[in-house]
Amino acid sequence: MFPMSSQKMYWIFSDENDITELREKTNSEFIEKHGVNVPRDQREEHFLTTSEERILLKFYELQLRDFCRRFVPPMPRPTVATALHYFKRFYLRNSVMDYHPKEILVTCVYLGCKVEEFNVSISQFVANIKGDREKASDIILNNELLLMQQLNYNLTVHNPFRPVEGLMIDIKTRCTSLENPEKLRPHIDDFLERVFLTDSILIYAPSQIALAATLHAASRAAANLDNYVTDTLFSREHLPGIIEAVRKIRSMAKCVEPPTREVVRSLEKKLDKCRNQANNPDSEIYKQRMQDMLDEDDLRDNEKYAKIIQDQAEHDEKVLGVSKSLSPSAL
Amino acid sequence: MEKYVVVGRIGEGAHGLVLKAYHVEQGNEVALKKVLLKKIDEGIPTSVLREVKTLQELRHRNVVELIDVFPVGLDFVMVFEYMPSGVWEIIRDSERPLNDSQKKTYVKMLFEGVSYMHANNVMHRDLKPANLLVNREGVLKIADFGLGRLVWDDNSHSYSHRVATRWYRAPELLYGARYYTTAVDIWAVGCIFGEILNSAPLFAGETDIEQLAIVLRLLGSPTTESWPDLTTLPDYNKITFPCHKGLPWDLIVPDATPDAIDLIKQLLVYNSSKRLTASSALKHLYFHSRPFPCPESALPKPTPDHRVQVKPEEVKGNLKRTVLFQNLLSIV
Repeated sequence: MFPMSSQKMYWIFSDENDITELREKTNSEFIEKHGVNVPRDQREEHFLTTSEERILLKFYELQLRDFCRRFVPPMPRPTVATALHYFKRFYLRNSVMDYHPKEILVTCVYLGCKVEEFNVSISQFVANIKGDREKASDIILNNELLLMQQLNYNLTVHNPFRPVEGLMIDIKTRCTSLENPEKLRPHIDDFLERVFLTDSILIYAPSQIALAATLHAASRAAANLDNYVTDTLFSREHLPGIIEAVRKIRSMAKCVEPPTREVVRSLEKKLDKCRNQANNPDSEIYKQRMQDMLDEDDLRDNEKYAKIIQDQAEHDEKVLGVSKSLSPSAL
Repeated sequence: MEKYVVVGRIGEGAHGLVLKAYHVEQGNEVALKKVLLKKIDEGIPTSVLREVKTLQELRHRNVVELIDVFPVGLDFVMVFEYMPSGVWEIIRDSERPLNDSQKKTYVKMLFEGVSYMHANNVMHRDLKPANLLVNREGVLKIADFGLGRLVWDDNSHSYSHRVATRWYRAPELLYGARYYTTAVDIWAVGCIFGEILNSAPLFAGETDIEQLAIVLRLLGSPTTESWPDLTTLPDYNKITFPCHKGLPWDLIVPDATPDAIDLIKQLLVYNSSKRLTASSALKHLYFHSRPFPCPESALPKPTPDHRVQVKPEEVKGNLKRTVLFQNLLSIV
């Protein structure tokens, strides 16, 4: 249920300004932290600005979608949508300079597959990736927990697909004046594709997006749903808010423009210089850190659990009814 | 992790240990479910994701609360309220047998949790006494959502049929159904209800085939009238059983009141679409007639080590020692 969901509670913002503010904060915090040795007047030149981060993210959102489209076996739409949600959510509080989008992208898709029960094994998954597959699977598995943590473990995503189905059923039963409602579908799908590249999904409820998609489709297919919306679907007092939301979602979906290759290429170059090397799997500092973590974990685990396991083994022996005389320690 | 001090082991889950601990500052007891990721090739197991995902969306008095989740090094810890006992132990506690009105309250709490869960489009798929935990006040909470998943209304998704512990597995699952509904949980609740009434499991099959045989012997063979989908189920033609008339309900649940029998009869129905829903079951006369469900204050309060006290008697004497120690040896 969306009204009670973690999505509504933590991942729906009041407007675009809210989101922009959060992104600016994330960007400036990264620069504060990593820019100690960079003179203030050179920072803008050295680091990515918030809007440059946005351009790169837009590019990678498209990459994500294309990756999913080409995926073998074919990936269901809700899985793609959930992965895109994760990707957007992740970069609200993390800078592109901290974690490279191409790494987070594949991790989002991998987690999305599991959560949406689109079951593919990791080897099946990385078979879809060009390049070093072993490295890719390491990156994914290393980032999975980080991603979950940054998502606040809120894994359930409510997508507009089911509300669309609900509206279609309702239109077929209560708006009989509309001939062949199925003709709306291609336009609806087309609209939803674009919506997922905007921030609408961080502002509006899935049902509002579904309604916007349906109304957009109606206008494309020269069908009229106005009376259905004003007379059947909503009461007078709810109408203004809904109409405003639909208008906003539609106008946001209009301005989806992919960044040009040249722009992306120059930003990528800039990113290579300013990214946090501690999170770059190719850097020495990263490799060292992973190794330390593994070693430390082994040590700590061993000490901590050795005692518990010993205590418990004794206890189990007692519980399982093995008589003391059988135990060598009792002799 | 520094927030908690580990004081013992509760058990072993599929992916790691379950530890008892307490919160350093607040002093409350918790259960830490530690998932070891290092040894897992596929990353975080789907069952763990399911549990986190469903519990994050559920808040109910009769559903266990996921208090916190955090990574520890390369592993991952889920923090739950500590529950000293469970329905499995409560049923078997021969020192404190339940009276009829306490039984009613347990069944009612179970239905309330299930009804909330289903209203939120979550099916549990593995309801059984061992997954129904009981806190210090005696309140029942549904736990272990490792098989929990969202329900699709349109029946377009096929699910695995290898779900649910055998004794509580709905007949459509036993016949290999891939398309099923929240009604599989209702069948399980029916079995648990019977187990609470009898203080013993209703259908204790040792194999999948025996399971079906026991159900059919007690409830009678299904017919195409009582269960129209029967012949279309994947495994229907693989097994044939002798025809049974079934036993009268007062032999299946001997000490039950007529109200209780009327309710269980509507839960353990072959045709899943004819089973009561949890919310309609709560309106059944059983819960609104004498003896009324007891107030929570009158429920037995499990002692802190209730689980350990009850379990020892259940260890079967005829088990081979190697079997008995198999798990233990793999831990040490």
